Amino acid sequence: MNNWGYVISAIAIMGLVTFGLRAAPFLAAKWLQQHTLVLRLGRFLPLAIMVLLTVHTLAGNAQSHTNGPWPELAAGCTVVVAQLWRKHALLSIVLGVFVYVAFRNQWVPLA
Amino acid sequence: MTKPTLVGDDASLSRTPWLLSLPVAMGYIPLGMVFGFLFVQAGGPWWLAIASSVVVYAGAAQFMMVPMLAAGLPLATIALATAVINLRHVFYGLSLLDRLPKPWSAKAYMVFGLTDETYSVLTTLPAHTSTQHMLAITALNQAWWVAGSAVGALIGARAQVQLVGLDFALGALFAVLAVEQWRSSSNSHALWTAMVSYALALWLVPQQALLVAIALSVAVGLWLQRVPKPSQTRAQSPTDKDIL
Repeated sequence: MNNWGYVISAIAIMGLVTFGLRAAPFLAAKWLQQHTLVLRLGRFLPLAIMVLLTVHTLAGNAQSHTNGPWPELAAGCTVVVAQLWRKHALLSIVLGVFVYVAFRNQWVPLA
Repeated sequence: MTKPTLVGDDASLSRTPWLLSLPVAMGYIPLGMVFGFLFVQAGGPWWLAIASSVVVYAGAAQFMMVPMLAAGLPLATIALATAVINLRHVFYGLSLLDRLPKPWSAKAYMVFGLTDETYSVLTTLPAHTSTQHMLAITALNQAWWVAGSAVGALIGARAQVQLVGLDFALGALFAVLAVEQWRSSSNSHALWTAMVSYALALWLVPQQALLVAIALSVAVGLWLQRVPKPSQTRAQSPTDKDIL
């Protein structure tokens, strides 16, 4: 993080990649609109990808420390239940982070 | 299926962009703060945290970049990770192909700003919403994100707290988006496809589990969707929901 040139290059590349992905369907608009399979895939994928990102991120968190997947499972379930129940994204995220921070900082001792 | 409540029961033109952007602000300001905080705590200068939110503007990828930059990973690896994380954005434009403003600069900015949350708001708006309103919502949403990042970075530059676990905000955001996608889906095929794909990918290629799992899910998705079902033709967009 001390090498500013490296960080600036990374930011520029990430910006270009992200913009390219967001722009792709507009560049291929005519072609895409002729292919209903693509459109149906576009309806199928968001849920699959969100689930994958969730599982992958929590799995990554679980591997970053020794207490294993328990804080991730507890906090993850908190978020899912809160969101299913109250439909309030900020509340769900804050609750989940609080549960996670509590476990990771040993405010709640893990057996 | 109940209509999303993001814009209330009467999504009339009297609703200002400001109001529509408010729920996004409630998510973006605190999340942006966490990003700015983590970026600076990892050793980055505060102004580059802000630059990231101006130039990259992709929550998940920005959270992912902090440990990658701290570890000094190669730029190609960072580019690939960004592509994998943001791959879903390829599908967002499909819902907005005919709805963006004509001037190229306004259109380019709206494409640039097409985050999960902005996409949700824009696709929930009534069809006759003016492009000026849509542009204003896009810009306001990014303003919340940049402002949050700036505040978080400035706090992080002064604070000496070592509170592990704040980065769980990213996983929590994904979980919230997954729940909302699931709520508005007509079935759970995609959920189970993803679970099984990830388990398989983790077993076969643990180093590239996410990328392989996405590829597997796309393959299964193509196979499941190969025949149009009459019941699906008028189903609402799965991302048509109130996230934040």
